[in-house]
Amino acid sequence: MNLPGFIVRNAFRNKRRFALSVSSVAASLFLLITLQVALRELTNPINDEGSSLRIIVRNKVSLAQPLPARQLQVLDKIPGIVTVSPFSFFGGLYKGDEKFTSFAQFAVDPKRTLPLLADAKIPKEQLDAWIADQTSCIVGQMTVDRYGLKIGDRLQFTGQIYPCDLDLKIVGIYHGTADDRNLMFHQKYLDELLGNPGTVGTWWVRAASVAEAPLVTDRINKAFANSSAEVRAESERAFVLGFVSMWANIKTLIGGISIVVIFALLLVTVSTMSMAIRERFRELAILKAIGFRRRELFAFVLAESFGLAMCGAVLGAGGAWVIFHSINIQKLTNGLFVMFEVTPKMMGLAFSVAALLGVLAAIAPMFTVARTSVVQGLKTLD
Amino acid sequence: MALPIRYSLRNALVRWRSTIATVLGIALVVFVFVLLQSLAAGIEKSSGNTGDPRNIMVVRKGSTAESASLIGRQNLQDIRYLPEIARNANGEPVISADVLVLVNLPRRNNGGEANVLLRGLTPRGMELRPQVHLTAGRWFEPGKREVVVSAKLARRFANFDIGQTFKSGSATLTVVGWLEGGGSAFDSECWLDADECRSLFERDMYSSFLIRPTDATAGEKLIARIEADRRFKLKAEKEVDYYRKQTMTAAPIKWLGNFLAVTMSIGAVFAAMNTMYAAVGSRTREIGTLRVLGFRRRAVIVALLLEGGFLALLGGVLGCAIAFYWNGYTTATMGMETFSEIVFEFRVTPKLVIEGLIFAVTVGLIGTLLPAIRAARLPVIAALKSL
Repeated sequence: MNLPGFIVRNAFRNKRRFALSVSSVAASLFLLITLQVALRELTNPINDEGSSLRIIVRNKVSLAQPLPARQLQVLDKIPGIVTVSPFSFFGGLYKGDEKFTSFAQFAVDPKRTLPLLADAKIPKEQLDAWIADQTSCIVGQMTVDRYGLKIGDRLQFTGQIYPCDLDLKIVGIYHGTADDRNLMFHQKYLDELLGNPGTVGTWWVRAASVAEAPLVTDRINKAFANSSAEVRAESERAFVLGFVSMWANIKTLIGGISIVVIFALLLVTVSTMSMAIRERFRELAILKAIGFRRRELFAFVLAESFGLAMCGAVLGAGGAWVIFHSINIQKLTNGLFVMFEVTPKMMGLAFSVAALLGVLAAIAPMFTVARTSVVQGLKTLD
Repeated sequence: MALPIRYSLRNALVRWRSTIATVLGIALVVFVFVLLQSLAAGIEKSSGNTGDPRNIMVVRKGSTAESASLIGRQNLQDIRYLPEIARNANGEPVISADVLVLVNLPRRNNGGEANVLLRGLTPRGMELRPQVHLTAGRWFEPGKREVVVSAKLARRFANFDIGQTFKSGSATLTVVGWLEGGGSAFDSECWLDADECRSLFERDMYSSFLIRPTDATAGEKLIARIEADRRFKLKAEKEVDYYRKQTMTAAPIKWLGNFLAVTMSIGAVFAAMNTMYAAVGSRTREIGTLRVLGFRRRAVIVALLLEGGFLALLGGVLGCAIAFYWNGYTTATMGMETFSEIVFEFRVTPKLVIEGLIFAVTVGLIGTLLPAIRAARLPVIAALKSL
């Protein structure tokens, strides 16, 4: 029997313990990945081609404060802007949903919207129909699938922010953006319902090029400085990160819990390894007696511990990867999570944690092996 | 005949070196569970603690929170002189039309930005909220662009010390005092004069009305009257009921707590099983002896379950103790209803502690069951012979 064979056989000698240890490592790594994915989803903006070109302009006071519609004339004259459209978050409750509607409704200017959604694909005749009918809307593919909608359906929304309700007809379905959930309708329709207050929620701007985007942002901010409605223009990424900052301590908390999970994992694996070695004192002593050196014994212990941790990693992290790739997380969490993507970086983290674990778990038993003399070891009864 | 409980307890303790990892593992699971649930409890307690049972809150029908509610000025004129509304000593109706504005402000120490809830209110509105009092400085004077901020928010946001000013859009406000809401939702608000707030932030509409009816029956009548009148499109309810429902933020935290508890407990069960299998393995002979002495299989199983349960209980107590360290610690996040920073405290309630302990013991018992059954099934003779 060769050495690797010896190690493998040793590991499987107590099959039950091996299975239990691997499962507990796997469960913890699965959890670690899930937490990381959730944290990423909450803190990382969705990136698509258009997101580096998009600039979001909101009232400097806060997102909840509207902007005057007359700003459009100024924006149209700023160099470096390809297109600009109002984007007013309606935040309505879809008829049938009790408390929470999983997709946003934006009031926009239909003629100017499409360039802002860089990758959105929609048939030409649907787009024309939308532009022509003021009470019509277009809906993202994900929402269409989730609610079983089709072209021609009428949707009712109760306004939770605006003091009006919407009654919209679907004339188009788009897909191809990073988050195909949103519904878009005419800003003019919203204005009419509100009695033309002359305000919009935010402006979305598309810059001519990535290089020019920061310059455009500056120009917009300067154009409205010291006016009655000062604005904050920022890249879409900065805008989303602003949201993330509002989660405050919750973010830190999830990060902290990840560390607790890793620590718990370490405890379990260390205890298992020491148990496995303690059980084998006598054997190790015999190996010592027949001439194996300390270094070789260390190698046995380390290889077994490392192998065990890696089996756990393959099962736990690999399992997470397979599961999160194959299930429809959007359906499962009611639209709370969209992507739920396991990145290579996370897999790397899980495997590094496992590797570290394997090494750390071997240290304590190694010391015991080193300290025990052959005679002592031979005397040990299990 | 049952084995003495001491047998189980001492067995659990004698091999403390090999069991300590299991105990700590269970402790961490319970800690995470109790800590997250205590956050949710803190949010619920803060909103459940808010309001005066006599007051009636009016917001726009359909809006989830005051801050997202818009009410036209005409509605104030229509409601103001309704007979159910109490009058104060000067004969004025006790109704406060408030304006709520979200302002985006920087945190202390470059901690990013967050929304803060500004409430513009009248002296009536302050009388209607006796929970709130000053802890430092003085109240604002209308017309001077002054604001009183929550003392708890002041610890988190830049320029919130008394005497400092902060800018929001074109408005510059001076902090003249700190308020304290007695652990209620008002601890997450800043107060200023209603008319000033409306002009500074160009708000034509109101956000909410807070009303004191003459008595409880008049209150019921008022609610029914406002709800029934189709002109208004308003929702009226008791102030305490309104706040008790503002707990949407707690729901995902609770969900996360339960999810983590379940997943982590799977790992903990495996760890407990490992420990108990090892415990049974190293005591094979002893268990054989017990059987020869006449102890039944049942007695052995019960003794081992007690041992595992006791270990897990130790872990549970430890976990609760670590979580209790955070009890009363103030923290904050974005409120899902108000969309602004809400301040609350970790609340490790007795209910949570009991839940945590039950949870720990369950993990211990599940982990011990299979090893215990295995021990009881050992053939007596073989067990005695084993080394």
